[in-house]
Amino acid sequence: MGEHKYTGPIAGIFQKMADIIGKDVYYVNFLILMFFTLFEVAAVFFETIPGTDIEITRTAVWGVLIVVGIIKGYGIAAFFMHLKGDPFIYTRTALFPVIFAALMLWGIGLSNPAGIDQLPDWCTPNWDYSYVTE
Amino acid sequence: MSGSLHDVKNDVWMRAVIVSVILLSVGGAAYGAFTVGVGTVKHNDWDAAHHDLEEAVASWNTANETGTLAEQEAAADAWHEAHEADIDAHLSYLTWVTAGKTILVMMIIYAAFYGISGFYNSIQPEEEDDHHHHGDDHEEHHGSASPILMAAGIMFFMIGFPGFVNTCKSLLGLDYQAEMGDFGMSVAGAAIMIIGIGNWWNEDLKGHHEQIATSAPFKGQDIRKAGMWIFLISETMVFASFFSSYLRMRTGWCTEWAVNAGKCEVVDTTTASDLLRHEIGTLLPGAINTFALIISSYTIVLALKTAKDVNWEPSKNALMAKLFPTRKKAVRNYLIITLALGSMFIVLKLVEWSHLIAEGFTIDTQAGSIFYVATGAHGLHVFIGLLVMLFMIFKADVLENGYDEHNGQGIEYFGLYWHFVDLAWVAIFPAFYLY
Repeated sequence: MGEHKYTGPIAGIFQKMADIIGKDVYYVNFLILMFFTLFEVAAVFFETIPGTDIEITRTAVWGVLIVVGIIKGYGIAAFFMHLKGDPFIYTRTALFPVIFAALMLWGIGLSNPAGIDQLPDWCTPNWDYSYVTE
Repeated sequence: MSGSLHDVKNDVWMRAVIVSVILLSVGGAAYGAFTVGVGTVKHNDWDAAHHDLEEAVASWNTANETGTLAEQEAAADAWHEAHEADIDAHLSYLTWVTAGKTILVMMIIYAAFYGISGFYNSIQPEEEDDHHHHGDDHEEHHGSASPILMAAGIMFFMIGFPGFVNTCKSLLGLDYQAEMGDFGMSVAGAAIMIIGIGNWWNEDLKGHHEQIATSAPFKGQDIRKAGMWIFLISETMVFASFFSSYLRMRTGWCTEWAVNAGKCEVVDTTTASDLLRHEIGTLLPGAINTFALIISSYTIVLALKTAKDVNWEPSKNALMAKLFPTRKKAVRNYLIITLALGSMFIVLKLVEWSHLIAEGFTIDTQAGSIFYVATGAHGLHVFIGLLVMLFMIFKADVLENGYDEHNGQGIEYFGLYWHFVDLAWVAIFPAFYLY
């Protein structure tokens, strides 16, 4: 615990930050999680970027929520849950349900009203929907 | 060995009872201060605000009958202001009353769990203790029946649960038919569950060798750790099903967000986030809860780090040295901080629910149903985690060395569950509160 030096493109950045401030990676991860949560809440709460007239669009908010979610998820899973540093079998185990989650999301694409003619082709099995749309 | 019951002193039951009394006192004090004290003041404020609202409505009626247009507009503005003040006063009242009641109920459950289980562990026969202490250092561990006993108890409890609820309502004098068969099954299930938990607790306190997997894919790994990850897979699927249900329904709704994005024209569904995300006061409980879970994830990491650190020394900072004077107390106190943060999460969640319900966002709508089921399931996970944490605090307190480098993996495995709960919130918070 704590003595382990993290390497790799992303974990290495966390480790470098930890080395710079003289703390361990858990502390850096904690600070990053706090910062991005604040960022996430602010992105939704403010309609314009504070101090400017630049509007924060819905697409931008979506992007922020997804990107921040991925960063926070990585921080918690990689460092707090020790997936980075533990044998790879645990990462494989953790990723296993992703297959089912992806199938569920595909199911949403198939079964929601927009699935008929508003979603991209790769989301749908390309059945003939003419009886619905005509 | 991961700790030994031999280290558990004879005063365990007394300590458990004292802690239970302290917990009950905290609950009683919170109820008295928040629900009875501040709640009464806030209720009076609400009454006054409601009285003002009635007067404003009467003035508006009078202005509509006999007043000028300017008087009518002024009366309408006054009505609007009084209405807002009435809502604010009501929500403020609900905040304090719900907080007080939630803390009281939680403390009663904590006290019962801590007291009964602490007492249960203190009455184990001494010879069993000796057997384990001297006999099992090289003895093969054959696993435990407690988890499956507990699971069977939960199964019976859940099978009888609908009838159990109806019977309780009937006993409370409501117009429901008592279903004693189901009620009995639930009670028996609860009893089996408690025995399973108590036995599990007792086995863990005694300590045991860590079982190592002997075949692929986890060969060489601690079985408990692998088991925890497999369990977390199933938990991931539970929350994934909530998310897919929510996203499926959400894509079919015409929400405020969808209207603003130009996807549809008339709002047909109000989501929880529509009520929560626009004002700092309504968003605050969810935001504080997010920070609380992240901080609690960090404190549990600190507890593990401290337990594993054989060279641990108190901080040079006087306050920190007082809070965390020894390794044993440092681990225990980090766990207590985690418990406090998790408890705050539950209190704020129920306060927030009380506000949403008061504003008409109830479970009998599609949006309400998925919101309360998903966030409620998450809250239940937090609460179960808090009960486990109570046991860990108990263990950290009563074992001679508490958690150390030999038995600290217990914190690590529980930590995996706790971080998962945090991870689930990382997805729930933006999906249900911000989007």
